[in-house]
Amino acid sequence: MADEMNKNATMPEPMNDEFLQTTTTQSASMWSAVFRRLHRNKMAIVGLVIVILVVLMAVLAKPLSMGNDPYYMLNVNEAPVEIGRPELMPPMRSHPLGTDELARDAWSRLLYGARVSLFIGIVASFLCIVIGTVVGVISGYFGGWVDILAMRFTDMMLCIPSLVLMVILSAILKGGVFQLILVIVTFGWMSSARLVRGQVLSLKEQEYVESARAIGASGWRIMFSHLLPNTMAPIIVSFSMSISGTIIHEASLSFLGLGIPQPIPSWGNMLTNSQNYMFSAPWLIWWPGLAIFVTVLGFNFLGDGLRDALDPRLKL
Amino acid sequence: MRNFITRRVLQLIPLFVGISFITFWLLTLQGDPFHQLLLNPHIKAEDVARLMHQWNWDKPFLVRYFYWVKEFVTSTFAPSRGNGWGFSILAPGQTARALILQKIPITLTLGISSLIFAFVIALPIGIYSAIRQYSIGDYIGTFFAFFGMSMPAFWFGLMLLLLFGLKLGWLPIGGMHTDLLTVSGSQVDFYAAPWIMQFADRAKHLILPVVVLSLMDVGSWMRYIRSSMLEVIRQDYIRTARAKGATERTILFKHALRNAMTPLITLIGLSLPTLLAGAMITEQVFSLDGMGRLTIQAVLGNDIFVGMAIVMMDAILVMSGSLLADILYAVVDPRIRYS
Repeated sequence: MADEMNKNATMPEPMNDEFLQTTTTQSASMWSAVFRRLHRNKMAIVGLVIVILVVLMAVLAKPLSMGNDPYYMLNVNEAPVEIGRPELMPPMRSHPLGTDELARDAWSRLLYGARVSLFIGIVASFLCIVIGTVVGVISGYFGGWVDILAMRFTDMMLCIPSLVLMVILSAILKGGVFQLILVIVTFGWMSSARLVRGQVLSLKEQEYVESARAIGASGWRIMFSHLLPNTMAPIIVSFSMSISGTIIHEASLSFLGLGIPQPIPSWGNMLTNSQNYMFSAPWLIWWPGLAIFVTVLGFNFLGDGLRDALDPRLKL
Repeated sequence: MRNFITRRVLQLIPLFVGISFITFWLLTLQGDPFHQLLLNPHIKAEDVARLMHQWNWDKPFLVRYFYWVKEFVTSTFAPSRGNGWGFSILAPGQTARALILQKIPITLTLGISSLIFAFVIALPIGIYSAIRQYSIGDYIGTFFAFFGMSMPAFWFGLMLLLLFGLKLGWLPIGGMHTDLLTVSGSQVDFYAAPWIMQFADRAKHLILPVVVLSLMDVGSWMRYIRSSMLEVIRQDYIRTARAKGATERTILFKHALRNAMTPLITLIGLSLPTLLAGAMITEQVFSLDGMGRLTIQAVLGNDIFVGMAIVMMDAILVMSGSLLADILYAVVDPRIRYS
């Protein structure tokens, strides 16, 4: 839609010589330089620690849940005598975060919910990036009518009010983890396509592309083994940022009643259910929301730090 | 410039066709809206058949779509000859346009207030962060920006409701205004109260929704203003201005800020339509009866004409937002010329 402007606004400046040298000739030292820069950035380290902790939570969900099953509904005999009813029990030693409206252990649901939310976040973002990269590389490299066609389609998708259409599509597909991923990917690949296309447009004029063509490399080889590695920096950054966006999307769709269906635990649907008991059982609404916030914050910190470390001049 | 605008407006036509076709197709995949009418015991089967015929629903998909486009275009450009963008299935007897016009003031009030709020908060903090880079204030500002970008809006809204609405009781927990206001000891209907009290009551109801809706924009705008300012204050012309003896104040507001503001125009242009998406969530949390709620009801209730009208209005908002941003960009920055 805005080719004229995007050249000014969204296309990153050509990388400086020093950076290009480190990427093309000494890739090992590039990564160690990136890591050094990342290490100096306190915020990025905080983000990395948060991300690692959340991943550990998801991986170690079983041992951490202290023998509670996220799907198991307690019966009356299992509740302490002074409470009597196993549903909506406040936090206690055997159920550190209490139980939900169906008398299921909230702590184990939070842990298993981390698996679902992270899985959706990572897989959906990865697919968005893959589709966006393929479209962007092809569109930028071939130019001409391929470019026009691909970019018009991308623009059209960008103009669609995505949350509204996401709601329609998830209502048609009727819930489920893979359906939700499909919905998010359908309306989420466009920004990385634009990003990669911008990169490729500036990179394809470089000498090394010309020399690759001179020694007879095919178009596909130039695209995927010469151009693609050099667009990696912005792709990695936008991957990290996109995971946080996806986790929020999952939660928003769940809030509108269209996320992961019960009984599968996800942070989004835990929040949706607990808001009905906001006043009688406020402990239920605290933790899933906090988990989403902290995880998203972690990925945002990490993405921001990665951007500074990979290329300080990059604007995303 | 005129050529550029004409070309851009013409480019909108295929976009309009593409978006409306995809949305129309997806909405019909959800089910037949006329079958829902049949479920209503107050509506006779022959009336439904007549309506179906009137709206060309007895014809193939492409013909239906064509008639919908015709209806949308006539209703938009010649409202007296059209049928108000179609009728509503969930609210019988109302046209889509009437429904939208009825709900849009709430969403507009909310949206414009939160744009202004986001701008007023983000601009000073963003500038401060840039001119005092790596100071304590910069770190606090950065933390706030990330806080805003990472917070799930509806959870934050619910938490604010719990705190300010219920625990402290300072603010109302939903709605646009109180029905009865207390004026000098007696209860008065909202619309009969003096305007200053109406205004104060509305403002009180708007505080929490506006804070929640603008949260995300505040965060990302703050980051944008900071990085754009940082880039500008390192330019040669700033050094020149300083060398010729201009005061810091003049340098900051006359030389730096003007140039730093240009990327922000794009940002504001692009965030116009996201306000509707935000409103879908915010209105649900604070039980405000605006466009956001109407959207969800229409889309989930298979109210096809209302749903189509809303999606198209929003798409037009996106398209005109980015067109407006491009034009303003050229107006503000004389270096940019469109041919």
